[in-house]
Amino acid sequence: MDSTFRVGFIGAGNMAFGIAKGMLSGDVLSTNVTVSAPSQRNFGCFQELGVAVTHSNVDLVRGSEVVFIAVKPHLVPTVLNEISEHVTQKHMIISVAAGVTITTLEELLPAETVVLRLMPNLPCLLQEGALLFSRGSKARPEDGALLSSLLQHCGLVEEGPEAWIDVHTGLSGSGVAFVYLFAEALAEGAVKMGMPSALAHSIAAQTILGAGRLLKDSGKHPAQLRSEVCTPGGTTIFGLHALEQGGLRATTMNAVEAATERARELGRKSAGTGDRK
Amino acid sequence: MHVTYWIVGEDEATLTQCNYFAVLPIKRQLKSTKLFIYSSHLWTGMSVGFIGAGQLAHALVRGFTAAGVIAGNRITASSPDTDLPTVAGLRKLGVNLTMSNKEVVNKSDVLFLAVKPHIIPFVLDEIGPDIEDRHLIVSCAAGVTISSIEKKLFQHRQFPKVMRCMTNTPVVVREGATVYATGTHAEVEDGKLLEQLMSSVGYCTEVEEDLIDAVTGLSGSGPAYAFTALDALADGGVKMGLPRRLAVRLGAQALLGAAKMLLDSEQHPGQLKDDVCSPGGATIHALHVMESGGFRSLLINAVEASCIRTRELQFLADQENISPAAIKKTTLDKVLQQPGVSRAEVGVRGGINLFNNSSPRKKY
Repeated sequence: MDSTFRVGFIGAGNMAFGIAKGMLSGDVLSTNVTVSAPSQRNFGCFQELGVAVTHSNVDLVRGSEVVFIAVKPHLVPTVLNEISEHVTQKHMIISVAAGVTITTLEELLPAETVVLRLMPNLPCLLQEGALLFSRGSKARPEDGALLSSLLQHCGLVEEGPEAWIDVHTGLSGSGVAFVYLFAEALAEGAVKMGMPSALAHSIAAQTILGAGRLLKDSGKHPAQLRSEVCTPGGTTIFGLHALEQGGLRATTMNAVEAATERARELGRKSAGTGDRK
Repeated sequence: MHVTYWIVGEDEATLTQCNYFAVLPIKRQLKSTKLFIYSSHLWTGMSVGFIGAGQLAHALVRGFTAAGVIAGNRITASSPDTDLPTVAGLRKLGVNLTMSNKEVVNKSDVLFLAVKPHIIPFVLDEIGPDIEDRHLIVSCAAGVTISSIEKKLFQHRQFPKVMRCMTNTPVVVREGATVYATGTHAEVEDGKLLEQLMSSVGYCTEVEEDLIDAVTGLSGSGPAYAFTALDALADGGVKMGLPRRLAVRLGAQALLGAAKMLLDSEQHPGQLKDDVCSPGGATIHALHVMESGGFRSLLINAVEASCIRTRELQFLADQENISPAAIKKTTLDKVLQQPGVSRAEVGVRGGINLFNNSSPRKKY
């Protein structure tokens, strides 16, 4: 069923590319995918996937049923104004723009439009993304199911109320950067203790990858896995003690909170309303 | 030596007035009848002695008698100071009190050394001559190693049966946490015996001796951490409007319940914590505050500090340089007043030399 849908991406950046790539690993045929952008700069990698390219957003909308709005947030109103009169009830419009609320999207589009809001994250590029989406007022459960199945090869796909999208941004959107920071610090610790930098970075990356995979696949609580690594009086518990003394847990909670709060703030600004959540 | 008592009856109130049992721990109802069976394991023929009649002895005796594992009158305890409130408490439990350590030794099979660590050498010097093959010596003194005890007793007895245990105060309500290590000449059965006895007042398991310091830091001192936490939690409750008594009650019950859940569950405490924290709710906000205050690392530091201090004390004790000021003169005087105890035996000389090479064996 997926293969009969024609999918379009307005915007040819990283997010669009990652999602497109994921979809194409599934049942979607590349002949059914189009991407539009004002410049040719990023068209190359899309064309390599066999995807059609265009400079016309309107043509794309008229030729697709599923349309991803993958432009920078400040460009969303412009794009929606441009395509609005060509959007019909057969369309499903999915916005990937951070901080742009469903209310805003629905205001800029025809009344009965099926709108969904999606928050992916960077590892979508490797089909290891974490994607959370929310349905707009006219989007039915079936529309959510369709989006889920289109995105299933992009990584972990979940649905939730719109309120969770800001939290997801803080946790998983920004969370990727938090992990990079931690990786850098791990490597620096190793360098301090005498390991060459390149090797330290490479091992740090593999450590995080391996730990992440084990966490995901084992189904165990991270506290359980942590305990399993700690032999009595061993190296790990000493290191963990240092982390606890540095308040790593609280700091990490603060980071997720700060990123989430900022996402909410941006959402309020873009909506132009003063309502507090 | 080891007997299981069964009492069958309908009326719990009448049964519990039976002299042998303060509390009957095991109760089952006979199916489709109104009859209840109460059972308890009781030691017959075995006597227990305590050198020292302070907090530890009192707590253990209260626990043992409540469990019905040994009758009060089969217990003897010695103390030079008869004014201690714990002495009165022991007397009420039916324990035979004396001022003579030697009397305790002679009347016991299992002998608990329940005095402060720095007193142990004096006690061992005094009772050394009276130790027989049957005696199982259990030292509860923090930081005193099995080998130091065996060394001290060597001149009197080549193969004394020594065990070392670390317990904690909740034995008094039969929820103690006890570990024990087995000495060179103690047999597996001796360990099992001690384990049975201590299991009647809580959890008991054997460990390698080198872990006992860590146990001290965790469960030995643990109740103090809990009391501190409960005091503070109650303060929090009072600040938010609860009457003090209620706050203390609720705080204690919360910790008790949580501990029970954890002990009954296969799950990691981290998982149990998650189960309490609803998204965006009160608990997760509170936990964030705790993490920000470094709660976890504080607890790790506390256990570490207690363990390290225990090792320090052990190190000092091993130096065997106890100054005369370390033992209260009044205590020493009372010890010396006992029949059959000579200055030479207690190792009191100009400077204290605890290796007493020439003590004559006195029998009486």
